[in-house]
Amino acid sequence: MPPRLNLFAAPKLLAYRPRSGFQLRVVQQTQQSIRRGFADSKSPSKPEDKNAENAESLPHVSEEAAKMSEITGKVGPDLKQGSPVEEIVQGDKEAQEKLPKVLQDEIKSSNNPKGTRSYSTSAARRQDDLTTYTPNNTDIVSQTGGLILGQETTLQPAQSDAITTPATVGHKFPLPELPIPKNMHKDYRYDPVIEQVLGLIILHGKRAQAQRHMALILNHLRTSPPPTINPAKPLVPGAPPPSHLPLNPVLYLTLAIDSVAPLLRIRNQKGAAGGGVALQIPVPLHMRQRRRTAVRWILDAAAKRKNRGSGKSMFAQRVAEELIAVVEGRSAVWERRQAVHKLGISSRSNLNKKGLRRR
Amino acid sequence: MKKTKVQKATSRAPAIGERKALRKRVILSNTNALEVDGMPDLFVGNMAVPEVAGKMVGLPGPVVDSLRAAEAFKVTQGWSLFRKPAVLMRSETVEMGKLIQNLDAQTENRKTIRKIIAGERGSGKSVLLLQAMAMAYLKGWIVINIPDAKDLVQNHAAYAPIPDSQPLLYLQKTLTASLLDRLQKSNPILTTLTLSKPHTFPLPLSPQTTLSDLALHGISDPDLAWPAFTILWTELTSPSSPIPGATRPPILLALDGLAHALINSHYLTRDAQPIHAHDLALVSFFLRYLRASPPTDLPNGGLVLAAMSASNAPSCPALRLAVSQSLARQRGEEVPEWDPYRKIDTRALEAVSGVDVLGVGGLSKVEARAVLEYYAASGVVRERVDARYVGEAWTVSGGGLVGELERGAVRMRV
Repeated sequence: MPPRLNLFAAPKLLAYRPRSGFQLRVVQQTQQSIRRGFADSKSPSKPEDKNAENAESLPHVSEEAAKMSEITGKVGPDLKQGSPVEEIVQGDKEAQEKLPKVLQDEIKSSNNPKGTRSYSTSAARRQDDLTTYTPNNTDIVSQTGGLILGQETTLQPAQSDAITTPATVGHKFPLPELPIPKNMHKDYRYDPVIEQVLGLIILHGKRAQAQRHMALILNHLRTSPPPTINPAKPLVPGAPPPSHLPLNPVLYLTLAIDSVAPLLRIRNQKGAAGGGVALQIPVPLHMRQRRRTAVRWILDAAAKRKNRGSGKSMFAQRVAEELIAVVEGRSAVWERRQAVHKLGISSRSNLNKKGLRRR
Repeated sequence: MKKTKVQKATSRAPAIGERKALRKRVILSNTNALEVDGMPDLFVGNMAVPEVAGKMVGLPGPVVDSLRAAEAFKVTQGWSLFRKPAVLMRSETVEMGKLIQNLDAQTENRKTIRKIIAGERGSGKSVLLLQAMAMAYLKGWIVINIPDAKDLVQNHAAYAPIPDSQPLLYLQKTLTASLLDRLQKSNPILTTLTLSKPHTFPLPLSPQTTLSDLALHGISDPDLAWPAFTILWTELTSPSSPIPGATRPPILLALDGLAHALINSHYLTRDAQPIHAHDLALVSFFLRYLRASPPTDLPNGGLVLAAMSASNAPSCPALRLAVSQSLARQRGEEVPEWDPYRKIDTRALEAVSGVDVLGVGGLSKVEARAVLEYYAASGVVRERVDARYVGEAWTVSGGGLVGELERGAVRMRV
């Protein structure tokens, strides 16, 4: 086993460096230290040094989240770090005695008034800050009990300016209602029906193209004459009169989709009828599912229509014509809906079959 | 693998030309849209007054008919969403109105004004041209419109050299016939004007022949279109006299898509060399009057307007240079010069340099508000038009570009 300490290698490691006589230690000192505002001041003053423009740093993520949740009226993250030992041992004398000395001192000091002013050195700057002081800040009033007392002595140079500058009251833009509505978000920009139809029209991820189709569909509905309603194919109850529809194309579209949307779908359960025969079970659909089925049917029917013209707008034209046909009761989609409903009625007894797994 | 059968439609296929007709159809009315109360119509009395600036005005029926016949309305514009065609009297329009108002064939004010309308995409250049045409129709002018210079150069029509022409010019007879067709249908005043002197024409012409009849000869037979057009032009530019049938009103020459008229066309010579657009008779006819040096004036006065297109324009450095020079001159800035080591089409540069440029930009917020209020009054915009909405619409339309404003507020609104 070789010796741990290799004496021959030592000179290589211990390089001989002649000692320099005097080395000037250059400490990069900022011209003006970063000024921190008081704990109660709303906006800390910006550093005047141009080089220190970026000296201000963003708050920590959780601090920002806490601030945001305070704005939106929710409960945000707790900013206190570590376990709240002081709270745990509060009122428990025995536990307090067994605490480490550091914590004991801390508890003692927190109970007693502090002896030193942490901001004692910032007296000169206090005046600077006051030059940018606006009467908008409420703490003058709160400090002086609602009246600006001692104005002549402490706030002389600043207050004269502050009084002459007009106070900006309120907000430039009105504050949002709290709690913020669910749809008040950039991703919820359009009507939910429009969004859903867009999702069904979109091809190869070309969303803008789908949006253009949608716009053309709505424009077609806007410019086509009011539909003539067929009483044999009733629309959803509460539908507006047909003359109101063209100028509200989104409502027109929604009405067409909701009117032909089926209430249920038929689920074929394999082998449940015995002898390998599928059992047809009606399943109720949610609103979105119903609309989705209706849009699929309408798009299928539109695909079978023939183009009369050429160009990019033909798909939109076919879909729009199909939508009008739906509202007027001419579309074959109504028969599809009727067939599903009929099957649903005939197969409703299957719901009572024994051995059906609830899905 | 089994072949899948292609399902054939049972209905009748569209006839030849029907698809294109549907694509090119211009719809000028939406019966669903509401009529806008209190919107005045454009007439001679209000087309140049400052009070009408920043307001929407409707176009009167006869003018709409003329503009439609002149193919001034384009499919890409949003006329089909409103009850009747209406336009915004922006500040540039009022200025144009003043020009048209002050020009008169009878008085001493018969001068020729040439302008190139330039601006960003969607800034309303073509509609400004349309407004100029509308005002010219109201004043009883003759309007000759070339709706898109691209049609003249894209090699979709028959062409042949004009014999004995020096320099050699190429004639497109079907395009000349369609130009005559637009001219005859859009200018009902031609039926009141008669020939002032005898002309040599393949068909017999009596002194009572109206200019409209002459145009009809050219329309019915494209072989006669060019002779008919030349005679018509000599008549229109002959001195005006107060005798009925011999009055000659001022003329508005309008062309859209100027850049197409300044480059090599898609036509080829017999040696398979590209024909410059300036060698085409129709293009050369228009540019002769647009040219600022040496200028060719319209004898009875008039306006020569050429609008640029920002969405369908081939690269034309000469036009770009001429426009930037003219704009710099107007602003009193240093006039940019062409880099002498780079090639430039000198023919194109000579044709357009020195011509006044009318720069069209975004609308002001007041004008944008007028437009949006018109949309709302027509029922196609359902939002409340307040300062916030106007500000938003103005901002997202690139600072009030009217085409984008319409796109954002009406057409592409999902």
